[in-house]
Amino acid sequence: MANSDNGFDQMMDIWKEGQDAFLKAQQEAAENFQKTMTPFFEQSGNSPDEPFQAWQDFIKSWAPDWDPSAMIKGPSAAMFTQSREAFMTMLDPANWTKYAPEQLREILQSVAQGPQFADLATPHIDAANSWREALDYQKAAADLSKVLQESWTRTYLRFNETHSLEDLQSGNVQEALDVWLKSANHELLETQRSAEFMDAQKRMLRASVEIKARQRDLAEAWSEAYQIPTRSEIDDLTKIVHELRRELRQVKRELSSAKAKSKK
Amino acid sequence: MMPIRRDKNGEPLDETDAALQAWALAWNQMLDTGAKAIKSNSFLADTKQSDVEIATTPADTVFQIDKVRVLHYHALTKKKANTPPVLICYGLFGRQTMIDLQEDRSLVRNFLNDGIDVYVVDWGNPTRADQYLTFDDYIDLYLGSCVEHVVEANGGKPITLFGICEGGTFAAALAALRPELFAGLALAITPIDFHGEQDEFWRGEGFLNSWIGNLDEDDVDLLIDTYGMLPGAMTGAVFSSLTPIASMTKYNIGLAAMDGNEPAMLNFLRMEKWIADRPDHPGEAARQWLNELYRENRLANGAFQVLGETVDLSKINCPVLNIYAEQDHIIPVSCSKALGKFVKPKLYEEIGFPGGHVGVFVSRKAQGVVAGGITDWLNRTQDNKPKKTKAKL
Repeated sequence: MANSDNGFDQMMDIWKEGQDAFLKAQQEAAENFQKTMTPFFEQSGNSPDEPFQAWQDFIKSWAPDWDPSAMIKGPSAAMFTQSREAFMTMLDPANWTKYAPEQLREILQSVAQGPQFADLATPHIDAANSWREALDYQKAAADLSKVLQESWTRTYLRFNETHSLEDLQSGNVQEALDVWLKSANHELLETQRSAEFMDAQKRMLRASVEIKARQRDLAEAWSEAYQIPTRSEIDDLTKIVHELRRELRQVKRELSSAKAKSKK
Repeated sequence: MMPIRRDKNGEPLDETDAALQAWALAWNQMLDTGAKAIKSNSFLADTKQSDVEIATTPADTVFQIDKVRVLHYHALTKKKANTPPVLICYGLFGRQTMIDLQEDRSLVRNFLNDGIDVYVVDWGNPTRADQYLTFDDYIDLYLGSCVEHVVEANGGKPITLFGICEGGTFAAALAALRPELFAGLALAITPIDFHGEQDEFWRGEGFLNSWIGNLDEDDVDLLIDTYGMLPGAMTGAVFSSLTPIASMTKYNIGLAAMDGNEPAMLNFLRMEKWIADRPDHPGEAARQWLNELYRENRLANGAFQVLGETVDLSKINCPVLNIYAEQDHIIPVSCSKALGKFVKPKLYEEIGFPGGHVGVFVSRKAQGVVAGGITDWLNRTQDNKPKKTKAKL
């Protein structure tokens, strides 16, 4: 970005950055579409179903819950509901994050890093940051969940090794349960010690605290708007009182020590 | 491989009979568990919060500074031990009510029944107004003032300080900084070396050390700056995750296994009541606990400071009893035993309790091993009774 003190230039730059990000996203979407459709266009003698299948796959990559076949089954209530829900799903930004998180994260990052202006509000920066944090939290939660899910899968395999189908056929449910819990405890403890788990846990902690910090910022803005003392203001006062009390105690301590010395 | 099932006469069962037998066994076991669960649920339905009482031993508040109080327990016997008063100091992650959970599992009552004069520190209920309190405040100002009060009540003579968990770390630091106040120092499940001997950890040991060690200083700072405090609910969730299966099964399989047994159910509910009452940890002190102690291990490295003065544990100059739990999933054995490297061998003793972190206080076994062990140590090392000298023949 050009380094200019001119406010108009800066506005033009940020607008240009936004445009670039938008066009880049459009371009990537078009490329994905093209890649998906290429097999049909390149091959001759395709069956009539293939273009529909390719199109269906593409749509499903963005809205997996959508059932395109509902559209050709006739005008029924189910078709209307499903298609409507699927369409709304595609419009809901929260759902975009599930399917192209890294791309979206990059776009949000670029928006969040835009400049701030003295006389222009920049709500898009806050919005981009909030969204990016929500995205990070979603990813961190999914990563941690994956690590734990894998642990449960290993538990199942371990249980299968130590407890055969014949054992289960014995009807001894209590014994099977004991073996299952023992296996699960073993695997979960092993997982909790692994670097993979600890890193996922760390990212999860960081992401969830960032969300909490953002909530605090919103609460601060709200409190300020309604003339209510903010958390930061109360914390500042608490700190001042704490430091004053500490100083007072120190002075008292020095005084009593001086008195004791003078008595001697 | 499943053994071949046989009938009463030892003849092999045919497959249909075997299947029916297995089916019957499974149903019986499930019905049995269901019946037990119904009894436990029925007990829960009939139990009110007020039926579950903890910390019932009578005591008076004899000293208070800010939210911190010293409780002095009423004597339960005419017997008087010839040992100094004992001041018990729990940590800030849980409440001191743990040491008086119920009448037959109460460290406080055990001491009182042995004629020991017992005082306990109650840290109160820290809120965000207390978020800037540091270890300077907790160790020097609060615990120091509590100890001074009990010393004064003891006619100016030194006392025994018994620190538990984080309270043990406070106690060890204070005993090193102001050794003249102490006739003895007892510690239980207390971390001293926060890194411990990681190669020696057993499977469920040392998670806290590894997890906190894996965080960056910035992660801890972000957490404390955002919340102001270290929320009790958060530490509670972390403690639960240290024993994942036990935490997942306590309200279902665990409750069913109790079969509605009143004493067992009440023990369980008292413990639940104690766990539910987990206070928030003041933020700045928590920052020190996590960064300076857990991450940087400053106490064991001789770099931990209170009011600008470095805590040198080798300056502890009174008899020390260090109690650790062999199956402690919160404070590894090696983290506690590290104190032995600092204290003069002739002053230092240990008791390894065969149980877990909380079991040191609430298990039936602990009543004899821990309380009995401390009383024995007090009588051996701090008996104030004037010694009778035998006349020379």
